[in-house]
Amino acid sequence: MSFIIQTINGLSLAALLFLLSAGFTLTFGLMRVVNLAHGALYLIGGYVGLSVVWTTDNFWLGIVAGGFFVVVLAALIDRFLIRPTGENHLAQVLLTVGVAIVIADIALAIWGGDNLRVPTPEMLRGPIFLPGDIIYPRYRFVLILFGLAAAVIMWVLYRRTQIGAIVRAGVDDREMASALGININLLFALVFAVGAFLAGVAGVVGGAFLTLYPGVEWEILILALVVVIVGGLGSLEGAIVGSVIVGLIDAYGRWLMPEMSYFVIFAPMAVLLLVRPTGIFGQEH
Amino acid sequence: MPERGALTLIFVAALVATVPLFAGDFWVSLTIKILVLGLLALSVDLLLGHAGLLSLCHAAFFAMSAYTVAILQVRYGVPMLIAVPAGLAMGTLLALVFGVSVRTRGVYFILVTIALGFIVWGVTYRWASFTGGDNGITNVPYPAIGDFQITSMTAYFYVVLLVVLGCVLAYRTLVRSPFGLVLRGLKSSESRMRSLGYSPLRHLYVAFVLSGFMASLAGVLYIYFNRFVNPATAHFHISVEAVLMAILGGTGTILGPFLGSVVIMVLRNWVSGFFPYYMTLMGLVFIVTVLFAPNGIIGLVNSWRARRARRAKTTDAVGTEPEAQPRPQP
Repeated sequence: MSFIIQTINGLSLAALLFLLSAGFTLTFGLMRVVNLAHGALYLIGGYVGLSVVWTTDNFWLGIVAGGFFVVVLAALIDRFLIRPTGENHLAQVLLTVGVAIVIADIALAIWGGDNLRVPTPEMLRGPIFLPGDIIYPRYRFVLILFGLAAAVIMWVLYRRTQIGAIVRAGVDDREMASALGININLLFALVFAVGAFLAGVAGVVGGAFLTLYPGVEWEILILALVVVIVGGLGSLEGAIVGSVIVGLIDAYGRWLMPEMSYFVIFAPMAVLLLVRPTGIFGQEH
Repeated sequence: MPERGALTLIFVAALVATVPLFAGDFWVSLTIKILVLGLLALSVDLLLGHAGLLSLCHAAFFAMSAYTVAILQVRYGVPMLIAVPAGLAMGTLLALVFGVSVRTRGVYFILVTIALGFIVWGVTYRWASFTGGDNGITNVPYPAIGDFQITSMTAYFYVVLLVVLGCVLAYRTLVRSPFGLVLRGLKSSESRMRSLGYSPLRHLYVAFVLSGFMASLAGVLYIYFNRFVNPATAHFHISVEAVLMAILGGTGTILGPFLGSVVIMVLRNWVSGFFPYYMTLMGLVFIVTVLFAPNGIIGLVNSWRARRARRAKTTDAVGTEPEAQPRPQP
């Protein structure tokens, strides 16, 4: 019984982690940019969405606003800070850490240090009754469906459409793709925008059950990092599988050994590093 | 015969040693923090400046040794003579385990070390029954051997200075040894070093563990200064700060990380007294350093000296030897 509930708990976290890690991993796959500000984008997206929900009382508008705000912010960061570093990945990592620190501090100044919960609409509140007499929060259950839908849409786009083929070509060999007449800069901007949008959406969606507070930007980024390390950096399938693995392990860990829960998430990562340093779906870069 | 570099270090140490003579307790304690975190930054720079690996988990070793000492002393009443070696051993042991990360390279290494570093933070935070959780461990006793106890700030300052100086001189010997050369060889071309018969994995692993040992040493110095430890000590921010110090001062140098430590610590302890947005300021320092001064303060000084030397050469033809070009950015 509690096993099933914990499994659902894990899957709802997995849905959130997928939203976050999909953008992170694709941005890396295509542009080789490791954006450590991704967690801060989640945070600021969540806060902006929260303010919009507070003023308009419309949860869906909050999600869209959080997403688009982060797209604009990320585009500015990309254009004025990340691009000037060119191909220096080490510099980019450090730069995005600095950006994350600034964003988080500004968010602290505006929204304060308390735990804030994004209010959910009436239709998502309350319990849901699942077969087998399981009572579960409706919101988290719907989140699983939402994450599943996002994963399916992303996967179909990535594997079954022209635009997906172009992105995959860019991931495999950027110069070759650009020599074949693909506007690689436009492609970069597009993928970066999609990744940022998902991070902002994740902030609002996650803020409704994990709450938003200073420091959550690193906690959530770490989970996303473990997802991409386990799944393989740069791989969409890796993000899907990694999210499910990390989400489930986190849920079982919190349930069975709450004091060691952090430790438990990292165990599979350490094992995997020994056996396969590039992750399940990763390739040598 | 000690040459110029070693003499410079001893001279700087002698200068630092005069701080308690003219400055009050605030500045003495600030100098202790600068030295201790500078040592942490130096340990990070062994990997960053020499082996080309950016580690973001050094707060873990730092906190591991600090927590070990604190728990042994406070909870089990173990004397310092045993607690200190135990702290160093635990920090180094952690480095032996986390050393698996050298199987990865580039950004993967960075991500893996971030994740590993968070394990320690998570444990200090969540394993509250053992680590005290958010409250941490308070009332760590003054450092004492038998009945001899160091309670004055100034006395502890000299202990820290001596340990840091000894560590720096040992570090200097290490990076100038064949081992240090292999590390720098690996940084510039791993495949070439491999074809010359060197094992990258083995050398990087040893460097990682040595670096973890140094960070543990900084942690031990820190706990007897602070006499209190909480999860903030293990947080990612400390690892980030150490890296920032190394880069801000100048990677691959010895004075660089300490220079960076001076700037960051003064910002943190003095400026934050009248300017509330200290973290924003630190983030901006980070961004500006990466974008405009990737070789740090020492890099700026070197390139300025090189420019001046070139100008002198063109004007009076009998110029001095041109200064070494600034190191390529990490």
